[in-house]
Amino acid sequence: MPVAVTQVDRASRTANVALRGDLVIPTAQATYGQLRGLARRRDLRGVVLDFSDAGRVDTSGVAVVSLVKRQMARAGKKLELANLGDTHRAAFELIEHAKADADANADRDAEPVGLVERIGIAALDYSQAAHDLVALIRDIAIQAWFVVRRKRSLPKGAFADQIARMGTDALPIVSLLGALLGTTLAFQGVVLLHRFGAGQYVADMIGLSMIREFGPMMTAIIVTGRTGAAIAAELGTMRVGSEIDALEAMGVSPTRFLLLPRLAALTFVQPALSLISMFVGIAGGMLVTALVIHVPPAVFWDRIVERCDIMDFVHGLGKSVLFAWIIGLAGSHLGMRTTADATSVGAATTRTVVVSVFFIIMVDAVIATISSLGGS
Amino acid sequence: MPARSDDVLLACNDIAVGYDDKPVLEHVDLEIHRGEIVTLLGGSGCGKSTLLRAITGLLPPRSGTVTLLGEDLYATNDDGRRLLLRRTGMAFQQDALFSAITIIDNVALPLRELTKLPESLICEMARIKLALVGLSGLEHRLPASLSGGQRKRAALARASILDPEIIFADEPSAGLDPIVAAELDETLRRFRDVLGVTVVVVTHELASIRAIADRAIMFGSGKVMAVGTVAELEGSHDEGVYNFFHARAS
Repeated sequence: MPVAVTQVDRASRTANVALRGDLVIPTAQATYGQLRGLARRRDLRGVVLDFSDAGRVDTSGVAVVSLVKRQMARAGKKLELANLGDTHRAAFELIEHAKADADANADRDAEPVGLVERIGIAALDYSQAAHDLVALIRDIAIQAWFVVRRKRSLPKGAFADQIARMGTDALPIVSLLGALLGTTLAFQGVVLLHRFGAGQYVADMIGLSMIREFGPMMTAIIVTGRTGAAIAAELGTMRVGSEIDALEAMGVSPTRFLLLPRLAALTFVQPALSLISMFVGIAGGMLVTALVIHVPPAVFWDRIVERCDIMDFVHGLGKSVLFAWIIGLAGSHLGMRTTADATSVGAATTRTVVVSVFFIIMVDAVIATISSLGGS
Repeated sequence: MPARSDDVLLACNDIAVGYDDKPVLEHVDLEIHRGEIVTLLGGSGCGKSTLLRAITGLLPPRSGTVTLLGEDLYATNDDGRRLLLRRTGMAFQQDALFSAITIIDNVALPLRELTKLPESLICEMARIKLALVGLSGLEHRLPASLSGGQRKRAALARASILDPEIIFADEPSAGLDPIVAAELDETLRRFRDVLGVTVVVVTHELASIRAIADRAIMFGSGKVMAVGTVAELEGSHDEGVYNFFHARAS
């Protein structure tokens, strides 16, 4: 225990505290508790700390004294230090010297932010984000125009590399989920339609659902989690590592160098994966209807060909291109807006997934409504 | 006068360090005594930072023993090693501040995690340390908003927050302007003079070496090339040592 006997001089209403032992981190809490107790006593006007028998004083010891002194000063009381050794004095002088500066500047950055201010900051942030998104789309369009007109070119091999990463590598998971979706739809259809003797119409339901809705939608959700998040994480990490600044400093457009290959690849990959998902889903449904209600595959296929026309494929594949741009833009925009700290990369990745899925579903709903009203 | 054995805070006994199959330094014997400032120096890639990782528990040596504060660092279990390392502080070359929390939270983190001190005392201690390294008023900034020199000083404040017996600093003044570098050197000297901290600095900055080092240990060609005071090393006739101090290509 670092604090020894406390004697109170009743005439001057001062407590004399003889410190014994080291004032270091392991003893700091006890010392602080005792001194704070003295500081709160109403019968005292001051405390004198006697360092005659004190041992080592580290930062925690100085902090205890400094904190109690400030608390006492606020209550109009006084804390004095007596019989300081050379090392004690040096520690207090050094730290007090530094603290004089610290107290003058204390918390100058920590002014509390009110509700209105927070709303204002959020509004400005959204406004800036919208402005940045518009600027990004404009830049993408300009750079794409340069590439189409062959005034500039994409980095060598980047497009093929992105096609492989976004498309070929995603093929197994997209196919597997497409097949599972097709079988699930088929089971649902079989249960309902077979009851009314309309089992062969399961083909109509699966064909239209996979081609117009589930193929593009499920593929988009898989690509969002797999590719959209990767785009945001890659760009965010490059932003944190100043790689994007390095491109700017070299006079190379980050939009053309980094974003265009990804967006171009997504534009091709997304419809291709959706098409595969559609056919694999139909195959899964065909398998279930053949095994469960014994509809021959040829009959199933004939129903699909009869019911689904080219406009259904245009509808589904057109949507998948829109979904690709949503995913690509969300990943690019949020990845490029990453700030220089580790959490912002994670935040950009998460927001990319959330924003992409939200807009994919919203766009899908809008298109479904319009096409329904239009009778297509 | 020979140092007393209880004054030896760190001893490496015939250690070899390296990565995978590639040795970087071999047959390293050295002792660091209480209260001294020692610089580990040498050209880029000579292994001084690798050695620092070995003596701070981050990279087990390929052979030999590291005795830190009287205990064999790699003979103890993980808990024992952590307890030992709490008595040391490390300022990394890339500052290693946590980017998502403020400077004061970075500095206070070891106190919050390893002690049961009240929050008011923890904040006071963190403010004192930040004041000592000249960062008063920047407590609530995020690391990304500070300059390189300020981040390095914040890293030093964090390394010293538990009042360790020994502080290791990996190239604290690298890449800083001479004034900021000199301020950092002065801070390290204050830690030693006032708080009694032993300081081991990895550096190849000649100005810094001359300003703070009581002793210097020079590495090159995969081994210890020279040990002595800065004056002794500067007067050395060894070609490698001479070239380093007189900035001549060999």
